[in-house]
Formats: sequence, C-alpha cells, structure tokens
Amino acid sequence: MTERDMLLERVAEVLKEPVAIDPDLDRRIMNEVRAGPTVRAPIGPVAWLIRRRVVSVSPLGGLALAAGIAAVALLGRSVWQATAPSAAPPSATVAATAEPTPSLVQFVILAPTAGTVSLVGDFNDWDRSATPMRPARGDGIWSVTVPLEPGRYRYAFLVDGQTWVADPSAPSTFDDDFGPPNSVVTVGGS
Amino acid sequence: MRLRPAIIVMTLAVAGSSWAEAQEPRLVGRLPADARLHVDAILDSARSLGLPIEPLVDRALEGASKQASGERIVTAVRRLAGELQIARDALGSRSTSNEVTAGASALRAGATGDDLARLRRLRTDRSLAIAAAVLADLVAVGVPADTAVAAVLALAEFAQDAEYLALRDNVERDVALGASPISALGVRVEANAPQGDFGATSSRPPARKP
Repeated sequence: MTERDMLLERVAEVLKEPVAIDPDLDRRIMNEVRAGPTVRAPIGPVAWLIRRRVVSVSPLGGLALAAGIAAVALLGRSVWQATAPSAAPPSATVAATAEPTPSLVQFVILAPTAGTVSLVGDFNDWDRSATPMRPARGDGIWSVTVPLEPGRYRYAFLVDGQTWVADPSAPSTFDDDFGPPNSVVTVGGS
Repeated sequence: MRLRPAIIVMTLAVAGSSWAEAQEPRLVGRLPADARLHVDAILDSARSLGLPIEPLVDRALEGASKQASGERIVTAVRRLAGELQIARDALGSRSTSNEVTAGASALRAGATGDDLARLRRLRTDRSLAIAAAVLADLVAVGVPADTAVAAVLALAEFAQDAEYLALRDNVERDVALGASPISALGVRVEANAPQGDFGATSSRPPARKP
C-alpha cells in the first residue's frame, strides 16, 4: 500500500463517522422562524381577483362580450388618434424625410347657372361636402386647389348637389360602374 | 375546466379586436348595412391576399356618394378586386400598392395581364405605377388600347416618370387641338423611340369611351 493509498483510507474513515448534530439545533431554528415576519394569505378584493374559479360563458354571451371589448378598443383607438399630436407639421415632414411631396392641383369648371359646385373624388373619400368650389371671377368659373400626393385620382364635379359632371378639360375614366363618368388626374412624383 | 378570468378576458379581447379590425370605419353610415357586410367581406379577402384596400374603399364610397344601390356597389367592388388580383399576379407579389392599382386601371382600359407582365420585365428596377397610369390615360383620351400598350412598352426601358407624364400631356393637348389620338401619340413617341410599333395595324377594337 502506497503512502497515497494510506492517506485516502484515513480520509474515508473520517468521512464514514456519523455527524454529531447539536441537540439544540431544532429549537434554535424554530425560534428563528417564529421571530421572522408573518406572511399572511391575501384577503378581500385581492384574494377575490387571484382566486381560481370556474367561469361559465355561453357562446352568445362570449360573442356579446367580445363585441363589447372590440367597441371599447375601437373607441380607445379613435380617441388616441384624435388626441395624439402629429409627428411634425407637413412642411417639416417633407423637409426631413423622403415622403412624397404633395403637388397643388387646381380644378376649374365653367358652370354659369350653378348655385353650388363641389369637387368629389378619391382624395376626399367621395364626400359631397368636403371640397366646395368657389366662384373664381363671377362669370361662372368655379375653382378650387387641393394638395395631392403622387398617384392617379378619379373625381367628378357635383353641381347643385345633384348633377354629376366630368371635367371637360381632363380625360374621362373607364370606371363608369355607377353611371355618371369620372375624370382622372395623374400626379407625378418630384 | 378552470380558467382564470383574466385569461378569458384577454382571449376575448384579442378575438374582438380582430373582428373590429376587419371592419372599414369609413363605410359605416355611408353604405346600407347589408352592402357593407358584403364589402367588408371582399375587403377582408383582399387583405388576406395582400391586395391594396384603398381603391376598393374608394369605389364603395363613390357608389355611396352617387347613391347607387347596395347590390351595384358590391358588384363594382367585387369586379375591381378581381382586376387588382389579375394586376398583382401579372406584376408580381413584390409590386407596390400604387403599381397594382395603376395596373388595374390599365386592365380596365383594355390592357391585358400579359401586357403588364411585359411592362414589369422591361422596367424591373423602376416603379411602373406612372407608366401603367399613363397607359390608362392615353386610352381615356381616345388612343386604341393596343396602341397605347405598344407606346408605353416602347418607352419602358429608358423613360423616366416625368417623360411619361409629358407624353401624356402632349398627346392630350394635340388631341384637344384637333389631332387624331393615334396620330398624336405616334408623333410624340417616335420622337423618342423610333423603333416602336404603335399599333398602326391594330387588331384590337378601340376601348369603349364612357
């Protein structure tokens, strides 16, 4: 047996001996536990919120709840969009980014007997009242200027709120799905 | 099954938000309710196919503004959705919304899906939204569709958007001054692309004029 083996055997003998535990250990540990802060189970509204429970929802009730939540989400988004400040004024945005630059496009029509004329098209959601035209000189010429980003827009004039008229100075489109013809303006990029 | 109330509420919120997202708010109050349901379904389908939504909404709003019937509005929106899909298929899935929209206008003017695909191949590194829009504009001033297609294709490899727009403006002016549309286009294009064949032997009938 080598000296190394003898050393290992002595170490093993020591490790095999039972560990003597202080008989007072349990009492001291329990005293430490009792002296610590007391953890209490939640009570009241908090306990009600986190307690597991069985929830029964009928399909109809679930759909109604989903519709209500969706309505709240939409309302919240609308309010946020209405109140959120814009990132920058349009001119600043154009100067700082590569976004397309709107071009000012003038629309003109001769309608000597008209009481009102509106410009209605893709650029204003086909809203009859969004872009009223103004008499330019009092001799029956109506005009309005609108900013348009590059693109192709269909439009028409609405005379006296009831007669649709295509722009005689612009090409007509082939999109005559609804009877009265439209005109088209194509705005190029910068 | 035992579920936490918070999990149920979150699940329903996600489902409800998805449902709300599918509704187009601009159509609310503008279209009859049943027509709006159909149009929303078309929009949802188009959205899932990656087609531009804006022209479809515009078409529905145009119908509403012109007090068309709900059935007619739905038919028009569905027809346009089909044209957008043909245009997108011809121009490729990476084409922009403006390109697909202009392509649909060109289709309505008389171009074919093959014409748009050729335009895409000739103009791979540039937008063809203006080129396709000018094609439709040329037909609108009376140029036969195949002549307009030939002219736009002849310029496709080198023309800038501004040159397309100048061509369109010049042809419009010439026609307004009394020139025939096909002659005006021929003169204007041959100044830039003498090798073009601009449909002098047209076999395609002229596109209809509204």
